Amino acid sequence: MNRMLLFLLTLVTLIVLPGCDYRILERIGFTYAGSYDLVEDNQIEVGISIPRADPTIKLVRELHSAIGKSSKDVRLKFAQQTDLLLVNGQIRVLLYSEALARKSLSDQIKGIVRDTSISPLVKIAIVNGNAKELLFKNYKQHLSTDKYINRLLEKESTNHQIPRTTLYEFERDYYDDGVDPVAPVIKDDGENITTDGIALFRDYDFVGKINSKDALVFCILRGNFKKGSMSLDLNSKNDDNAQNYIMFTSMISSKKVYVEHKANEPIHVVIKAMIKGSIHEYIGDLKLSDDAQRHQIENKVSQLLSERANRIMKQLQEKKVDSLGIGMHVRNSMSYKDWKGMNWREVYPEVKVDCQLHFKAKDYGKAR
Amino acid sequence: MTLSQVLRQMMIKESGSNPNNDSSANLPDQDNQPPTLAHTLEEFKDCSDVTHESFPEHQVELIYFDQLVDKEKLSRHILSPLLTGTEQEVSKMLLHLQPFHTNSSKDLILNILAGGVGVFHGPNAFVFNVYSPENRSISQSETETVITGPHDAFTEQINTSLAMIRARLRSSHLKVIKLSVGEVSKTEVYLLYIKDIVNMRFVDEAKKRIEKIEVDAILDTNMIIQYMDDNKYSIFPQFLTSERPDAIVSKLVAGRVVGMVDGSPSAFTAPTSFFEFFSSSDDYYQRWILGSAIRLLRFIAFIITISFTAMYVSVTTFHYEMIPENLILTLTESRSRVPFPPLYEALLMEVTIELLREAGARLPTKIGQTIGIVGGIVIGQAAVQAGLTSNILIIAVASSAIASFVIPSYVMSASIRLIRFGLILLAGLFGNLGILFGITAIVIHLSSLTSLGSSYLNPVAPFEPKDWKDIFIRAPFSSLRARPTQSDSPNKVRNKTRR
Repeated sequence: MNRMLLFLLTLVTLIVLPGCDYRILERIGFTYAGSYDLVEDNQIEVGISIPRADPTIKLVRELHSAIGKSSKDVRLKFAQQTDLLLVNGQIRVLLYSEALARKSLSDQIKGIVRDTSISPLVKIAIVNGNAKELLFKNYKQHLSTDKYINRLLEKESTNHQIPRTTLYEFERDYYDDGVDPVAPVIKDDGENITTDGIALFRDYDFVGKINSKDALVFCILRGNFKKGSMSLDLNSKNDDNAQNYIMFTSMISSKKVYVEHKANEPIHVVIKAMIKGSIHEYIGDLKLSDDAQRHQIENKVSQLLSERANRIMKQLQEKKVDSLGIGMHVRNSMSYKDWKGMNWREVYPEVKVDCQLHFKAKDYGKAR
Repeated sequence: MTLSQVLRQMMIKESGSNPNNDSSANLPDQDNQPPTLAHTLEEFKDCSDVTHESFPEHQVELIYFDQLVDKEKLSRHILSPLLTGTEQEVSKMLLHLQPFHTNSSKDLILNILAGGVGVFHGPNAFVFNVYSPENRSISQSETETVITGPHDAFTEQINTSLAMIRARLRSSHLKVIKLSVGEVSKTEVYLLYIKDIVNMRFVDEAKKRIEKIEVDAILDTNMIIQYMDDNKYSIFPQFLTSERPDAIVSKLVAGRVVGMVDGSPSAFTAPTSFFEFFSSSDDYYQRWILGSAIRLLRFIAFIITISFTAMYVSVTTFHYEMIPENLILTLTESRSRVPFPPLYEALLMEVTIELLREAGARLPTKIGQTIGIVGGIVIGQAAVQAGLTSNILIIAVASSAIASFVIPSYVMSASIRLIRFGLILLAGLFGNLGILFGITAIVIHLSSLTSLGSSYLNPVAPFEPKDWKDIFIRAPFSSLRARPTQSDSPNKVRNKTRR
């Protein structure tokens, strides 16, 4: 009899207790995107965007912003403004203003990594300008801004106009020996948002930027990829008159890095990249169907790309950021003891890097 | 006269010969006394359905149950010689029909109850077996239909059912043990096996378990197997029951023991495993790729049945992180009007579906259809519009209900449907952790189960990967060469086709 009673009691408890739970879908506000800006007195302004799906209100998203010492401090202020329980598990995009990034993202990133509910797949982007304003602005011809930014970053990174940067990749590059993290930069462009190059980080500090024009070459140097397209002006500076322009797509790029150590000489690194692409557009005098003439074009493209690559490389070395991960290849070419004994950050600007990019046309269409 | 009737008479003769041996023991009990007309009539007093006919000119008295006997046989072989024949013809008739002469009154009464005609001729008593009860014709199984393959199913009449097996297995190695269960009902239970293929360990075990049953009446196969269960508290059936003779024959040749109960249209087989409940005869009649695909589908259906609604509950209550970006808004939107927590919402809908199912099963087909339509509208649309549930839950509940009916064995599908409620409750309490606990508990329980002493999770535990090709998929016949390890057959090879 007693056992029966106990059993019934357990059953009733089991059925009744779940009704006390509070984290039910429609009562939580899941932050979709967050923005971080630097304001006076070393304080930060945090803005969040929460999508709403209540059929009784017309609102698409709920926006909150507050100023505080740390992001968690600010969270407490948000909580007083909304009827929803704020949670972080659905965050997709984190936007940091360039000013804040220049100061250091160390505290912000560490705070995010510490929160286990935040997915390592959350995208990180630097905003050229004010991050909160960008996030809070409504762009008429696009989805709600938070989703718009997320999908823009997603699409651009699959096309290799910007490197794919999630929290996971950022952290991996930060902790990995011989490579520095990067992040895409976006900016408000009136009616739209556009990508604006690639931010270079030394540890957690923003130190420089690659222009969006050079972003694809940067991606070629950083790793292998498929997909993507590029347009080039083949004119040399001397003859401005002749139209000479090429655009190729469906790129397949593979790179190899060769490291050479010579006594009493700086380390010599050669980056060789093979780029294949289908030529979609060519304006110029040469005939693509003629092998010799096509090779001429290919060589011209290779030369231009190599020049650009070497320029980027020089820029990186000046800023002492090894965003391309040359250090990893150097590390692999020497013993662990030697590597540890060397201060790569100091050695890096002295390294002689030679970028050799080769372009090959896969096909050039039906036109003769 | 069917083969089984011959068998039956042989057995009656055997059992009848026993009292002869110890007739010298002078017991005062009337039951072991030589049968007399007076005592027999006394036994059947107040049984208004008993027929008693006297033929004083021949000094013959007949006692029988009119509804149990074959009337044509009775009139041709017994009544007409008695009505028209001479004394000599009557004695000849008594000899000719090979009745059996009985010395025990109890024996005589039992035989009359089993459809015999008791004949008193002077001091002697005979029994003629002309048993032929009313019978329904063979029809298609309502619970286990197949698209291709044989469509006949067992009937309540054991002779018909036995004949269907005998007709499919023309082998003298098919052995039939007859047992009697039920102190009042004296139901006949038959154990079938194929000599040299079956492992006698299972036959002996099944026989022992049936003999141990002491109950007033056994009415159905599904009832007797619960008396024979290894674990009576388990929710899972430990014997496979089927109404299909082809399925039962396939179990026999696989080296399993089959049991049949008089008055029940289903037969049980043992030893059985959890995975056997997911296979249907259809799998073997279709091409093997199709059969394999359908069998895999059933296992997927099993997972859907037990976990879909539970997942909905746990995800909407605890794990909003798991929901894909595009789904979360629609889910929130439909949830936002629902006044209950997800657990109660889910339980409400699950109970409604179960009510519908039960109502549909009990009602005649014509009204059942109406119930289906009303239920479909109520559940499908009105509940969402009224804001009682979210439409995604409807999908979860409906798909898990549909998936549960994919499982061919009704008993197993009912068990699984009940387990689901436990998982939903756990999901509402502890989220995914609860589901994990629940599934772990089910697996632990399953692995502790046995069927006639052999593991219920065979061939997964004990690990027998070579059996998997006939459990999880249905491999081509050319690679199904051995009998299942579970039946532990002394004759392992079943397929010697060279190709």
